[in-house]
Amino acid sequence: MRIEARNLDKHFRKIHAVDDLSFTVEPGRVTGFLGPNGSGKSTTMRLMLGLDNGGGETLFDGQKLNSHLPVTRTIGAHLDAKFFHPKRSAYAHLRMLGAEAGISKARVHEVLKLVGLESVAKKRPGGFSLGMGQRLGLAGAILADPQVLMLDEPANGLDPQSIQWLRDFLKYYASNGRSVLVSSHLLSEMELLADDLVVIARGKLIAAESMPAFLSRATGSAVVVRSSQSEKLSEILNAQGIASTSDGANTLVIPRQTTDRIGEIAFTNGIALSELSPRTASLEQVFLELTDSGQEYRIGQTS
Amino acid sequence: MISNLIYEWRRLWSVRATWIMTFVYLVITGLLGAGPLFLGDGGFGTQTWKGLYSTNANVLCLVMLSVVASQFFGHEYRYGTIRLTLTEFPKRERVLLAKTLLLGAYVLISTFLGWAVLGAIGTMAPQDSLSKNGSGWNLNGGEPSELWQVVLFGFSYCLIAMSITMITRNLALGIVFPLLMSSIIEGLIQVFATLAKGKMDWIVEVLPFANGTAWLTHLSDQPNAGLIFAAWVVGFYLIASALFFKRDA
Repeated sequence: MRIEARNLDKHFRKIHAVDDLSFTVEPGRVTGFLGPNGSGKSTTMRLMLGLDNGGGETLFDGQKLNSHLPVTRTIGAHLDAKFFHPKRSAYAHLRMLGAEAGISKARVHEVLKLVGLESVAKKRPGGFSLGMGQRLGLAGAILADPQVLMLDEPANGLDPQSIQWLRDFLKYYASNGRSVLVSSHLLSEMELLADDLVVIARGKLIAAESMPAFLSRATGSAVVVRSSQSEKLSEILNAQGIASTSDGANTLVIPRQTTDRIGEIAFTNGIALSELSPRTASLEQVFLELTDSGQEYRIGQTS
Repeated sequence: MISNLIYEWRRLWSVRATWIMTFVYLVITGLLGAGPLFLGDGGFGTQTWKGLYSTNANVLCLVMLSVVASQFFGHEYRYGTIRLTLTEFPKRERVLLAKTLLLGAYVLISTFLGWAVLGAIGTMAPQDSLSKNGSGWNLNGGEPSELWQVVLFGFSYCLIAMSITMITRNLALGIVFPLLMSSIIEGLIQVFATLAKGKMDWIVEVLPFANGTAWLTHLSDQPNAGLIFAAWVVGFYLIASALFFKRDA
């Protein structure tokens, strides 16, 4: 199911929390939703679900959410790890959430088992850890096997094994043609998980594109070449207007170029290469570069 | 709409507080009904079945039901589950209707259970304390209420509690406001009105719970009491509904 967020807009008095935001979430892909603290990610998700009143609209396969019935077969959302009554058992919580789609008791047990909460199904979740709360929230989201999953920081509080499980699960979920929109502050995790990215800062769209395209925006991306004829290659590149810098013996770093282009030049000029590799920036580098000026709540500098 | 009702039903009964408050309501109803019957004449005179069945319209009983009524929205806002509810049911008017209908059903069932308790007490009461004939008396004052009035007054009281919770998004206020208004604040206003020698009479005439009780107990000098009380109930409910539709979840 394709999700189209169109011109989403939200004011909190004088604060423009979400500013004319438009993007799409494609089926069969995991879309990461990134932004600094206070950038409007959660508000955007609430706008998409119709929980907050604001400008714009969100269409699910061209239609509004409430025209897809039952809604829980269309979308499963997990917005907070503490959205449950502390004295309603995990099982009863899911039974309640399963009302709209007519979810069976067997399915509730199945989902509890899937997220690893079967042994505490009848316990009150008031005593659950943050990670267990995340699992319960995720269980609620996937209960009706929806076409779209929308998860806000689902990896917070999870241990490394659970994070890996979540990553594998979401990739598997998307691989069946379903859409997954997931926000996270864990950039290294997002780099492993997301196919596409939507990046916002101060409520405005910074980027909405595939992960490789986003990473290629980095000023630090370059091609690394090692050759016994590195000096000659540097001269040839220079003659063609391509800057390069030496990075140790026989090694050149050539910014903003592709390995295809450099390899072709070296081959044409008969230069043997012992290494030709891309040096791409990490998601964290690119993210920090692009969102630095859009950070709402900036931390102080250490002296 | 059926799924909305099933959702609310499961939400209501899966929390132990609902069971506890319903049990306490029945205990208090039983004690209030049994006290005058078993503790001798005490100046009450002979009670009738109709008068006995008016007992659970007393505020001490209704405050227990108002706790559950406030939880209809109070728990949702306190624990954030309103966002789960509105994600599952994006049409807010249906959510409100389902909660209102289920509140009505809950009050009706509780009132019937209360009558069952009172009925059991009545059958065990000393012979002279309960009569089939005569006017009897009403614990809430005035004449014994009609049975439908007991249900409607209970529902209205709970609807105000639920509305206050929706407006303030505060569970405690939904319970405390109707209780304080009906038992203390309106009484104080009436005292001040007496001291003001007629300048505040118009306020006394429009007090919500004073009018509600006057309607419930058939006070003949206040013929419009039922309408005034109904206007308050509808007013609170409409304001709460408008805010529920307009505000962010």
